[in-house]
Amino acid sequence: MEEVPLLKALHEKYRNDLVILGISVDVSLERLDRVVKEQKMTWPILADGKEFDGPIPTAYHIQGTPELFVLDREGRILARLGSAKTLEARVKDALAGPR
Amino acid sequence: MLLATLAAICLAAPGAAGQAGPDAAVAEVRQTLDTARKEVDVYNARNRAGTPDHPAIKWDAALWAYRDRFPRTQASAMATAGAVRLLILAELWDRAHARIESVGFDDAAWERLPALIYEEGIARKDLPYAIDRLTRAAASAKTPANKAVALLVAGRAYRRQGDLPAATRTLEAAKAAAPGSPYAEEADGIIYEIDHLSIGMVPPPIVATARDGRTIDLARLRGTPVVLVFWGTT
Repeated sequence: MEEVPLLKALHEKYRNDLVILGISVDVSLERLDRVVKEQKMTWPILADGKEFDGPIPTAYHIQGTPELFVLDREGRILARLGSAKTLEARVKDALAGPR
Repeated sequence: MLLATLAAICLAAPGAAGQAGPDAAVAEVRQTLDTARKEVDVYNARNRAGTPDHPAIKWDAALWAYRDRFPRTQASAMATAGAVRLLILAELWDRAHARIESVGFDDAAWERLPALIYEEGIARKDLPYAIDRLTRAAASAKTPANKAVALLVAGRAYRRQGDLPAATRTLEAAKAAAPGSPYAEEADGIIYEIDHLSIGMVPPPIVATARDGRTIDLARLRGTPVVLVFWGTT
């Protein structure tokens, strides 16, 4: 949750140039929907209530959160981060890449 | 009932750890480690590491004494690894190396030492040293588990260094050393990450419906950078 304010700022700042996609490991989808609404998170959120055992966290080998992947314009992994601390710098790298 | 009461009395008796069984020995070592760690952390916060009067030296000696007191036990392995860890935290590299070299390869501590060698390699920015030491440990290991863990950690070090082919080769060797063990499972996980989730790779597909009803297909987002955020509200 610590990363949410920064994600909101990035989402606002790079509105047309960056896609943020949340994948929640919440078990309670009710709680998830409530928090997303309260926090005014407007990017798409995927969730299946299966925690780390759902197909997406499994395919991405997620064992803890937060875990962030920055993908470049070609859809390739540019960075994998365990916190949002250096996220903006890596987003800038992705935005500076060839179109 | 009476036996349980007697056991409880024995466990509670101070200084009786040697007689009271493995749990009491482990508890005693753990308590010593906690105290030592706190003192070392306080010292490190106020002083330069690597100094000859570092409290890690005193604690290293105290912990090493457990090796004689509880030979060939889990408590001894914990004390051994704990002592080496304190020396690494104190940046007393020579002392740490001497201790590591003195532990026989049939010692249960070798299941814990590889992680410390890796930690030291990172701290000293010398992963080649760690890889070399771990490779030698694997070659001399006396049990499948000890061999697997040394290779597993060496594989991690290769990966961190960016040598992915060597990492994969070493992790495969870890799996082969102890098939079905937790180490083999961990090696499998890292091999999967190398093959599917390395920098520069197109990650696994994502096709799903978002909570708000939007259809998401990661492949269709090409042309725009994407941040995937794995997170939870708790």
